[in-house]
Order: sequence, then C-alpha cells, then structure tokens
Amino acid sequence: MENKLHVKNLTISFRTSNGKVQAVRGIDFDLAKGETLAIVGESGSGKSVTSKAVLGILAGNSIVEGGEIIYDGKDLLKIPEDEFHKIRGDKIAMIFQDPMSSLNPIVKIGRQLTEAMILKGKARQRESRLTFNAYLKALNDRMVQGIAKGDASVAGALTKKCKDFDAFEYKHLALEGAYNVAFSAASEAITEIDSVLFEIEKKVLSDAAYRMKNIKSLSLNSINDWVVCAKADQLKECAERLPAEAKTARKTGDYTETVAILNTLKAILSEAVTFTQPNFFAMGYYLTFCPEKKLPTMPSVEELNAYLRKYLDDNFMLAFIADAKNALAYSADLFYKELLEAIAFLKQNRTVFEASALNKRTVLGAYKAMAKEVIETIDPLNTVKDSLVYTFGTGLHTEIEKYFGGIVKNEAETKRYAKQKAKYDRIVAKGKTPNGEVVPASLTDLELVRQNMLHQIDRLIAHFEELIAARNTRDYEAETIALIDFLKANASGVVNKVTKRIAKARALKLMDEVGISEPRKRYNQYPFEFSGGMLQRIVIAIALAADPDILICDEPTTALDVTIQARILELINNLKRERQLSIIFITHDLGVVANMADRIAVMYAGKIVEYGTAEDIFYHSAHPYTWALLSSMPDLDTNEKLDAIPGTPPNMIYPPVGDAFAARNKYAMQIDFERQPPMFKISDTHYAATWLLHPDAPKIDPPKTILDRIARMKERRGDTHES
Amino acid sequence: MSHNPETLLKVEHLCQYFGFNRAVDDVSFEIKKGEVFGLVGESGCGKTTTGRSIIKLYDITSGNIYYKGIRISAGLRSYYQDIADAKKEYKEKVALAKSPEQAAELKRHMEEIVADRKQQIALAKSDLKNCDKEYSKKLVAEVKAKYEPLLANATDEIKKEYRNELRKAKNAKVVGQIQMIFQDSGSALDPRMTVREIISEGLIIRGERDKKVIDQKVYEMLEMVGLVREHASRYPHEFSGGQRQRIGIARAIIMNPELIIADEPVSALDVSIQAQVINLMNDLRRNLGLTILFVAHDLSVVKYFSDRIGVMYFGKLVELATSEELFKNPLHPYTRSLLSAIPLPDPIYEKNRKRIAYEPLVEHDYSVDKPSLREISPGHFVQCNDAEFEKYQKMLK
Repeated sequence: MENKLHVKNLTISFRTSNGKVQAVRGIDFDLAKGETLAIVGESGSGKSVTSKAVLGILAGNSIVEGGEIIYDGKDLLKIPEDEFHKIRGDKIAMIFQDPMSSLNPIVKIGRQLTEAMILKGKARQRESRLTFNAYLKALNDRMVQGIAKGDASVAGALTKKCKDFDAFEYKHLALEGAYNVAFSAASEAITEIDSVLFEIEKKVLSDAAYRMKNIKSLSLNSINDWVVCAKADQLKECAERLPAEAKTARKTGDYTETVAILNTLKAILSEAVTFTQPNFFAMGYYLTFCPEKKLPTMPSVEELNAYLRKYLDDNFMLAFIADAKNALAYSADLFYKELLEAIAFLKQNRTVFEASALNKRTVLGAYKAMAKEVIETIDPLNTVKDSLVYTFGTGLHTEIEKYFGGIVKNEAETKRYAKQKAKYDRIVAKGKTPNGEVVPASLTDLELVRQNMLHQIDRLIAHFEELIAARNTRDYEAETIALIDFLKANASGVVNKVTKRIAKARALKLMDEVGISEPRKRYNQYPFEFSGGMLQRIVIAIALAADPDILICDEPTTALDVTIQARILELINNLKRERQLSIIFITHDLGVVANMADRIAVMYAGKIVEYGTAEDIFYHSAHPYTWALLSSMPDLDTNEKLDAIPGTPPNMIYPPVGDAFAARNKYAMQIDFERQPPMFKISDTHYAATWLLHPDAPKIDPPKTILDRIARMKERRGDTHES
Repeated sequence: MSHNPETLLKVEHLCQYFGFNRAVDDVSFEIKKGEVFGLVGESGCGKTTTGRSIIKLYDITSGNIYYKGIRISAGLRSYYQDIADAKKEYKEKVALAKSPEQAAELKRHMEEIVADRKQQIALAKSDLKNCDKEYSKKLVAEVKAKYEPLLANATDEIKKEYRNELRKAKNAKVVGQIQMIFQDSGSALDPRMTVREIISEGLIIRGERDKKVIDQKVYEMLEMVGLVREHASRYPHEFSGGQRQRIGIARAIIMNPELIIADEPVSALDVSIQAQVINLMNDLRRNLGLTILFVAHDLSVVKYFSDRIGVMYFGKLVELATSEELFKNPLHPYTRSLLSAIPLPDPIYEKNRKRIAYEPLVEHDYSVDKPSLREISPGHFVQCNDAEFEKYQKMLK
C-alpha cells in the first residue's frame, strides 16, 4: 500500500515557566492511503500534540527537537509557512475537539462553510492550471528532445499534438461538466420529489413554496442532450406549471393535481438517469477536430461511443500515446544517466564528511553542490514525488547546522562547567557543604552528528542504486496511461469552478449529510444559535468540504450523543472509502476506535507503548496500560466496580527514568523503574513496549475483566452470525 | 434495585416551552427513594431542561412537580395562556353571535374558564408560597424538640447553637434538598473563589455562621470525594478535570441532599478519570443513600449506573423501564435505533454493525389515533397509540 504520511522519531517539547515539558518523546508511525490510524491515550499523553505537529499548528512555546514528518516528498517540520498554506486545510484537514473555539462567533455559519470552498476553488484552479501546463510542457520538451532530435518539422508536429490535446481536453471537460450538472440535478430532483410526495401523503408538507420552486429549477437544470432530451418539452411544461398548481392546492387542500404533475416529472427524470453516459473524452476530440463539427446520428449511445472512440484512436490517441511513451522512455534514460552521475558525485563528496574534524567552508560547499546535483536527478514526467530526494538537502543542512552549532555550544558548556566545578571544589576545600550540585555539561555528540550525515548520504546512494536495479521492471505503457490520466485530472481541476451558488448548494447538502435539520434556515444563523452537538457537525462539514487527502480527527465525537456519533462515524467511513481518505483518529473512546480504526497506536507519556491492528489491540493486547484503558470503561454487561487507573500521568518536566507507566501499574517489576523497555515484536503487525514481553519476565495474563469481555464478545458475535 | 417504595420525586405533565420551541412536552415520571434514574436522548431532546426545571432553574410552562408529596413547582403560564385564549375567542365569537342569548351563553362559558383557571393559579401560588413554610415549620419543630429539654440548664454555648440551628431551620427551603452537578466543571466553579469558599457557599447561604463547623464540614467532604485538606485553599484552575468534577460533587453533597441531579457529570472527562468519578458517585450513593437523576448520553455508562432509564425524543418521554428490561426488550423504534448505535470495544462486531435509522414519519401513523405513554408490561412504559400498544404487547410475549 502506498504510504501517505511518514512520522519518524518525532520529539516535541514545550517551554513553560516551570521547565521544559517533554510532550512527545520519539514516536514513529506511518499512514497508508485509505487507512485509519487511531491514536489512543489519556489527555496529556501527547496525542493531540502529534496531530498538531502534522498540521503545523503547534503552540508558540513548542520546540521541535527532532524527527521528521514526510508528506508528498516534503518534511512538514522544515518547509516554510508559505508552502504550508497550500497543504493545511487543503491536503491535510482537521476536525477539532472544541467546536466553539474553531468557529468565528461573528460570522454566519453559511459563510464559514462556503468561505473555504470558494477560496480553495480558486487556489485549486490556479494550482491545477500550473501543474497541467508544467507537465504538458515537460512532456512536449521531452518529445521534442527524444523523438525529433533537432528536426524542426517533426518538433513542430509534436508541439501541435500537445496543443491539440490541450484544446480538446477543454472541450471534453466542458461537455462532461454540463452533463454532470444535469445528471446530478435530475437525481437530486428525484429524491426531492420522493420526499415531497411522502410528506403530502402524510399531510405534513412544510416549506412548500420554496421546495416546489426548487423542484422546478432542478428539473429545468436537468435538460441536457444526454440526460433529459426527447421529453424536454413535456418536462418543461410540467415544471413551469408546478409552483402555481401547488399554491392553489395549498389553498384548497386538494393535492391530486400536484401529485400527478410530480409523478410525471419523476417518471421522465427516472428514465433519464438510466441512459448510458457517452464517452465525452472522445466526443470532445470529435467535436473539436472533425470537419463537420456535428455528431453523426447513431441508433444508440453505445454505438456512438464505439464510433467516437475509434475516430479518436485512429486520428490522434494511439499516435499520441506512442509519442508520449517514447518521451517517457527518453526521459527515463536521462533520469538514469543523472542517477549514475549523482551516485558518483555523492560518493566523491562523501570523503569531505569522512574527515575527523570538518571544515565549515568545504562542507557547506560540498553540501550545496550535492543538493543541486540531487535535485537535478528529478524526472519532470514522474507524477509520484520521491521523498528522499526532495528532503535530502534540508535534512543534511540541519545536521550540518547542528554540527557547527554544537562546536560553539560545547565550548561554552565546557567553560561553564569548569568554572562552576572550580567554585564547587573551592567551597568543598573550605570544609563547607555547598547547597546544590553542579549541572554536568550537556554536550552535543559531534561524532554522532557526523555519522548521521554520512548515513543520510549513504541512504540516498542506496536508494538510487535500488532505483537503477529496478529499471528493467518499469512498465512504460502503464506509466503513459497514468500520466495522461494525471493530466486529465488536473485539467478538470481547472474547469470545475466553484461559484458562490455552487458553494451554497454544496454546503446545504453537507449540512444535510451531517444531520442538521432545516439546513436552509440554519445556513443564515450565527454559531451561538447552535447547540454543542450541532456546532461539532458544522465543524465536521467544514473539514469535509475541503475534500482533503489526510483528515485528522481530534476527538470529533466526544461531545456528541450516540445516534449522531454513529451517523458521523458512518459519514467519515463512507468518505474514506469513496475518496481513499487517510485518517488519523484521536480519541479515548475505545468503542469508537473499534469502529473506525484499521490500526491503533496507544500513547502514554509521549511515547507509543503499543502498536497494532485493531484486532491485535482489542483481542490480544499486551501492554498493562492498554489493559487498564480497556478495563476502565464500562460496557453493556459490566456490573462489577470499574477498574479505574489509580493516580495521574507523570509530570513530563521530569519524565521517569524507566517505564513511564510503572508508578500506576500493578504489574510493574523492578526493571520498569530503572530502564525504559524497548519495543518488543509480538507479530508482524503488533508491537508493545513492556518488560513483561521479555523472555525472562514472568508470564502474566491480562486482567479477568478483559478476558471475560473478549469471551462475551465472541459469544455475541456467534449469536449474530447464527441469526 | 430499590426496595424502598417511597416516591421521592414526582413529575406530572411537565411542559417547558421556549417560545415556539417545545423543549419538554408533557413528560411524567416518578423517582423512588434510593434509586438512580437515568435520562437519555440525543442533544436537544430536553433531558437537561427537564433536570433544570426540577431544580427550579426555569419556571415551568405547565405541569406539576412534587417532592415528597409537596408541590414545589407548578406551571402558571399555561393557565394565563388559557385565560387570554378564552377572552380572545370570546371576542371573536361574540362579534358573530346571532342572538343575545347566544352571546350571553358565550360569555358565561368564557367566565367559567377564567374563574376555573384563576382558582388553579391561586391554588398553585399558595402551594408554592407555603411549601417552603411548611417544610421549615417542620424543621423548626424538630429543632425545638431536640433542644427544649436541654435549654433549662443550658450553657451559653448550647444556647448559641440552638439559635444557630433555629435560624437555619427557619431559612430552609425544600429545593435545598435537591442539588445539581454540572457537566462542565470548568465553568461551573467560580475561578475567583477558593475551593473552601466554593464548597462552603451553600452552607453559608443556608445560615451556617460558625467557621469551625464550616471548615470541619469542608474537610470532611474533601476527604469523602478523594481530595485532601490542603486542596481547600487552592483555586479551581489548579486542578485537573477529574478533580474539578470532584469539587463539584463535594459542593453538592455538603448540603446533605436527598436527590442529586447529575447533568452529564462524566461526559467531559477522560476514560480513566471517568471510571474514578463513576466509582466515587457509586460509593457516595451507597454510603449516603442518595437518589440520583442521571442525565447522560453515554448509554454504556447509563446502563452501568442506573436502575431505571427514561428515553427522551424531541421533548417527549418515549420509553421508560428498568435498565435490564430496556436493554433486553427495547420496544419503541427510537430506543432500538439508539441502542443499535452504541459503540462497543469489539472491532469485528463494530465493522458489521447495522445501525437502525429512526424516521418518526415512517414508523408511526398518528394522524388519527394520538399516542400516549402506556404501560406495556409492569414497569415498562412506551409512548404509543392503540394499534402500537397491541403490537408491542405481542412483541413482549
């Protein structure tokens, strides 16, 4: 599975007036595409801090001590704020715990919902335009370089092909856009008619005037050459009559005529939505370049599709794909040549870092040259970004700064230590007891930093060599198709403009989806007019409106009641399935986690103490903290006293030497207070950091409450399977 | 289960309207002494409003609330509304009246209604006025009975104590027997008062003036809820959420209440802390013999904690049964939808869970036959009409 997000050795502290609080102490995890990772733990365990670091919204007094968060080839801890603007909210969105503080109290809900959509619509349009142009230009360049090889006439022909592609792709999108509008209007009209009919039958029709007008406009919008076409006149006539008819019906109370009109409309629309969708891509080409500029008459859409497809393939597409494939192969040749050069260059410059004492000037010179060389290897036609290549420069630079900064700092520390120690010794020599001790010098391990640099270079060389080794397995055919699809997707981003009206319609739909009744009325209200649960739903709607890549949910349903919680979780799960969304889900409610999570990380005192799939954690948990969490919540069969976890989490200004949970852990052993346990591997997917898993440790079973519950759950599942 | 049949609180046709918003609509239930009564439902269904109406934070629109048989709350607004409506109707109708006899008849009818409602209002007002009087009279009698034999050869100290107790008894109010614990302990505690001031505030209002007694009681309460004496001089912001909730509980129980209204007391807390607070409330309930009205939306917690449960939906009480019965045989479709939405710590079960949706318009046909709360089996009430009543009875068999 493709990994979306990589978090490595993340360490974060907070500067406070009492000292430095170590909130996150070196955690690692990754997030695959379309996967939900749940982070579970008490408040103060560092789970929210982790998610905020991913979104780049850590509080001002935070210090990122180390580690990396890699998304789309960028290290989110190192990129500048300007660049983060493009990612935050757009690619990575967040649902916050407290809705009141994440909404603006003096702006109406409707505006807050549509604001991001409109801004983002514009930004995305610009972004797509740039990406589309850049890749098409790169493709054109590579075609000209690889195929024409200096022949001007061939080069001209190739350039024309690219321009043609650009032109008819736009026609395609215009056609498909119009079709989509009409089609969605038709399906929406059908659902609306259904609900109106239902309400008429139950005699509870509300807001009739608005809804009839809505049905009318939806019906009229669904007229398109490929949706409602043959019966367009009848549809128009019915739709025009509807509002007036409904008005009289409301006065007389006799709805027979209105129902008849609605049924006719529904019949026409229901028929229309079953028609086959034409191949607009091929049609766009035909309409743009065919001399008649008019579609041939065909008995069925399938035949028309076949005809158009053949026309496109014969006249343009096959040749274009062949050219693109050649260009890709040529580009790949260049890429591998660059890789070989880069490897040689890196190996040659590596010697600079091997010296026992580094020279700042030479090192910086070598670093600059290497970073430049590495960036040059990037293949402009490659749509998947290589994170190692993109982060190499910044990563190495941080280490270099650490090294030379360390030299200065070490000197100062040694001096300070010597001075204080001398004073201390003087006092001792006088026979007095000094109050306090001398803080030992905290020195940066320069050798370690230097090794890190070498390691980074070696890792990149190894990565390049791997790429070269995998050269023969590349499938240019598939890559060409992927590239053309990528171009198509970006082109559609340019055409799909978000206007205020579209944004409002989308916002109303979202509000309905998250379970807000009477969205039209609510749209014009202010946050204070909503209850807490309602506000939370608004916040969720805002996050979903952005259509993000990664969604971070920080206790999104903690304040909601079960029915709404279930609806929201279903909504998030559906979106995840539809859009291949990756989700980081932070919560302390294990029932919710069981519903949402594919994998679970249990955090305590800034560390991940257990990590595994949902089944691993719930059925085979191994860490005492996980046991404590599981047994402290009541379920529907709990009657005995709850096993509350005694005490409170440790003060993270002075984190414990050994296992942080030892003080509250009834299974703690002597070693738990002395040394931190490493991550023990239980299975390929399941890890836990507890000394209980050490071969020498006594064998301890999970508490009885948990075993009982697992047995009960098995029983219940057995029952449900039988029934 | 409670073995004591005495009814502590009785809510009768309670209605609470905010303008057109019917937050609570015709809700009736009883709470027996010593039991925990859970009230569940989605946000905005009126469960919190019910709790707040009982403790007289709102003036109720109509209906009656009895505490130990004394009417402590009565809705007057509906009576006034009736009078206004009757007068308006009379004005409209008398203009269309065909004969003087008919007009006189209309007037008589109107006056009848007005007189009846006025009498009701007077009755309710006198009840409300006298409920505290009666209660304090009773307390004064008790105090007198206790101190009278001692007074003959009493020291100054005992006389002082007697005066103190007498004053407290005279000031006593029935509603003082009901105390509330709020959901958000952060905003329920005054940030500028120390814990000692917060906890003792109620005692002082009730008339306690002896500093020693106050301190003694505050320490006692702190220890009872698992805090220590040193905490008394600190401010609320120095405590964690769980500790703040404990302070809220101490503030409620220092008044020596019989009924506690706990409005989502654990919803805002962490799991591990949640368990601590639930255990604490369970202990207090057992040791002090408290009766609790437990308002919450976490059904696992409600099931664990309550003896009987009422399910509310849009201001109406739709189902009422013992917690075992409710979870075993849920009858009302809304209850079933609610139970189907409970998340359980079992991934395989969760991934195959089917949520039952509740659409009131599809489920019920109330166009002709109006629903009411009816007893399907002993102690199990469901909001239904005749047809549904039969259906539910069949389902139970």
